[in-house]
Amino acid sequence: MSNQKKRNFQIEAFKHRVVVDPKYAEKTWSVLEHAIHEIYNHNASGLSFEELYRNAYNMVLHKFGEKLYSGLVTTMTAHLKEISKSIEAAQGGLFLEELNRKWNDHNKALQMIRDILMYMDRTYIPNAHKTPVHELGLNLWRDNVIHSSKIQSRLLSMLLELVHKERTGEVIDRGLMRNIIKMLMDLGSSVYQEDFEKPFLEVSAEFYMGESQKFIECCDCGDYLKKAEIRLNEEIERVTHYLDVKSEVKITNVVEKEMIASHMMRLVHMENSGLVNMLLDDKYEDLGRMYNLFRRVPNGLSTIRDVMTSHLREIGKQLVTDAEKLKDPVEFVQRLLDEKDKYDNIISQAFCNDKMFQNALNSSFEYFINLNNRSPEFISLFVDDKLRKGLKGVGEEEVEIILDKVMMLFRYLQEKDVFEKYYKQHLAKRLLSGKTVSDEAERSLIVKLKTECGYQFTSKLEGMFTDMKTSQDTMQGFYASHLELTDGPTLVVQVLTTGSWPTQPSITCNLPAEMSALCEKFRSYYLGTHTGRRLSWQTNMGTADIKATFGKGQKHELNVSTYQMCVLMLFNNADRLSYKEIEQATGIPTSDLKRCLQSMACVKGKNVLRKEPMSKDIGEEDALFVNDKFTSKFYKVKIGTVVAQKETEPEKLETRQRVEEDRKPQIEAAIVRIMKSRRVLDHNNIIAEVTKQLQSRFLANPTEIKKRIESLIERDFLERDNNDRKLYRYLA
Amino acid sequence: MPPRASKRKSVPPNSSTVTSSDGRSVSNKAKTKGMEKIDRLFNTYANSSLGMIDPEGIEALCADLGVDYTDVRILMLAWKLKSEKQGYFTREEWQTGLKALGVDSLSKLKKALPELEKEVEKPSNYEDFYTYAFRYCLTEEKQKSVDIESICELLNLVLGVQFRPQVDSLVEYLKIQNDYKVINADQWINFLRFCKEISFPDLRNYDANQAWPLILDNFVEWMREKQS
Repeated sequence: MSNQKKRNFQIEAFKHRVVVDPKYAEKTWSVLEHAIHEIYNHNASGLSFEELYRNAYNMVLHKFGEKLYSGLVTTMTAHLKEISKSIEAAQGGLFLEELNRKWNDHNKALQMIRDILMYMDRTYIPNAHKTPVHELGLNLWRDNVIHSSKIQSRLLSMLLELVHKERTGEVIDRGLMRNIIKMLMDLGSSVYQEDFEKPFLEVSAEFYMGESQKFIECCDCGDYLKKAEIRLNEEIERVTHYLDVKSEVKITNVVEKEMIASHMMRLVHMENSGLVNMLLDDKYEDLGRMYNLFRRVPNGLSTIRDVMTSHLREIGKQLVTDAEKLKDPVEFVQRLLDEKDKYDNIISQAFCNDKMFQNALNSSFEYFINLNNRSPEFISLFVDDKLRKGLKGVGEEEVEIILDKVMMLFRYLQEKDVFEKYYKQHLAKRLLSGKTVSDEAERSLIVKLKTECGYQFTSKLEGMFTDMKTSQDTMQGFYASHLELTDGPTLVVQVLTTGSWPTQPSITCNLPAEMSALCEKFRSYYLGTHTGRRLSWQTNMGTADIKATFGKGQKHELNVSTYQMCVLMLFNNADRLSYKEIEQATGIPTSDLKRCLQSMACVKGKNVLRKEPMSKDIGEEDALFVNDKFTSKFYKVKIGTVVAQKETEPEKLETRQRVEEDRKPQIEAAIVRIMKSRRVLDHNNIIAEVTKQLQSRFLANPTEIKKRIESLIERDFLERDNNDRKLYRYLA
Repeated sequence: MPPRASKRKSVPPNSSTVTSSDGRSVSNKAKTKGMEKIDRLFNTYANSSLGMIDPEGIEALCADLGVDYTDVRILMLAWKLKSEKQGYFTREEWQTGLKALGVDSLSKLKKALPELEKEVEKPSNYEDFYTYAFRYCLTEEKQKSVDIESICELLNLVLGVQFRPQVDSLVEYLKIQNDYKVINADQWINFLRFCKEISFPDLRNYDANQAWPLILDNFVEWMREKQS
């Protein structure tokens, strides 16, 4: 037995011939058909799931899937047609409710049916490439109910009517809407879009077109925007409550287009309530609303920005060209700062600090500040005023804030070198008269200027401070080594390094004997320790304190300029002096002398001198006397303060000329620098490069640059190329 | 006509050519003889104490040539002679120049003048002549510019024939403008370029943003204002 071959067991396929009873399929199907009926008739409880499942399973197994499937289609279709009729029959508002109810029923039925037919779903259907049961159920619903001629349009118009009702303020059944819409969504996005969304958007567009037209006729801009915002929010809310989330952007686009984009220009330019009015009245809320709404539409923000820019430029232009406002430079600059503050606030409160608007603000300011070529002078005068008295008692932090604001205006200036010139002049006056409120504030500003413009800008200014300090030390040394002088008049000398200080060429006047002796002593002392230097007295810049006793015994201390001192001291030796005598004795230049006498003889409260005749002007034949009747409620009387003032026309011209002269070497230096490194360069590029290099100081004029180039050619620094006339060549 | 001088120069001075009885070579003799004539001509006009032809001498020369003292051909002659100082010809300049012209007598010189004109007008020479004309006016040491009056005359003289309308307008402008009291070499050379390159009188192709001297920018502006 063991030799026998092992027989492999083979399990053979079941070759049992299945006798298919043709009637078997019929029978089985009718069971299922009946079940479907029952399900649709809400009688499913009496059915056995297991039995039905088995039946369906068997049908498929015995190759009756086709029959099962087509039977399903037919049965379901028939039922749906029934359902359709009942829905159609519903009246008015009940239509949607009926539809909703039937839809729920259908879904439940479909679920059960699918469970029963699960085997077919998994085997026959994929093989035969048929639509799965669930999907089939939806499609049949769609085709037989939703797209039935009597239901389709009625459904849509009901939905749209409800939306319209809600828009006009009525309350609607949102839950019902949600269900119906969800039904459409379940049926496929194309159903939702074609059967609802598209018409919805069209109708909404019409609605909002009408709305916006109505509002714009009767509302002002702020109110209109409020209404638009409300509508927009409403639509967004609508979507969250009962529409497909993807519809949000579409419906908001409609609202934005109809309510905002179409009327953008009209809103912005609306008289008495448009953008400009909002800006003028600081209507932050309205502006913020406008910003938020307009940012949603193309060109919305740029429209706001453009209108704001042109408005700002207009205001700015008026401000800088209004002769009235230009009378007081400090006022003028304050107004500029106020305007800037105002717009900074608007941008931060209403425009979300949007950079685009900040840039528009900056470019506008830069535009109009430079329209007035006195702006650099005025800003310097403003600073002068602040450093002289405006910042008295102000805390350190606040000082910094004010100086930073000034720096910001400074940055807008194109002619920074003009500012530098005036600043130097004003600083000199402040330092020399000892009239600066806070040394720290002065230095802080210098540091800011240095950071902005570089070391060159401020090196001379710093030199001025150094001179003041050094002079103090020098005076101490002088008096320490000349103890015998402590009883006489006190001399305070500021030794100024030429070049650091603004040049004021002047002829030294004749000092009274007491002073000139003292000055000589100082000169020899100073030159003793600093050989090789030359001192020249700037008598046009000094001050003096004099004790005076008048006719009735009134004693006063007079604070006067050096010139005025020279004049007054003459009256120690004479009761009456003619103009000519004074002129001769003092050697003061004519215009200065006249001004000096005027300030002492013609100004109420300061008239320590009396003039005959009593006219306002000083004539060459006038005679002067001490005013014995002089009174003042103050013991100390200030007569000659050297305060920085707005320049007169001729002075202004002179300063401008000096600035132009100073620019020439700077331009030439730039040209030489550029040509030295490039060797050969064409005309347009030189102009561009030079302008760029000098930008931080002033705006170079192309004609001036050309002149300088020609001058350099003449002096053999550059030459023109022989062949290409556009080129310049550097001559080493 | 190539100057005969160079031909002579190519013969070495003491070559083994035919020698005459006194030992000098024929060519040398010929050369010296030619030079003698030139020298003699020079002496006719030269100021003996100075050793060169001075303005008076030039005036006399002009009279003999039948040419006006202020004629442009005299300037051309100066150019040919490479004369350095205005109003004066040195012996060397005279010798070199006349040799270059291939003349050794007054009549030959007179005949050579039209050819000289043609030579100057050749494009390759013209700019050189033009620049020379300016330099010739720099009479002082270290002088770099020429006054407006003289420039106007010079323009007439040098450019007047070829560019009459431009010269007329330019001269009119130069006389009434106040920006410049003198003209420098750079501006001078650009006048020529202007005449050559810019269409006149419409000035269509003039671009002020290019590297033209400012004086020409101003001139063009003035012209355009006049025309409108």
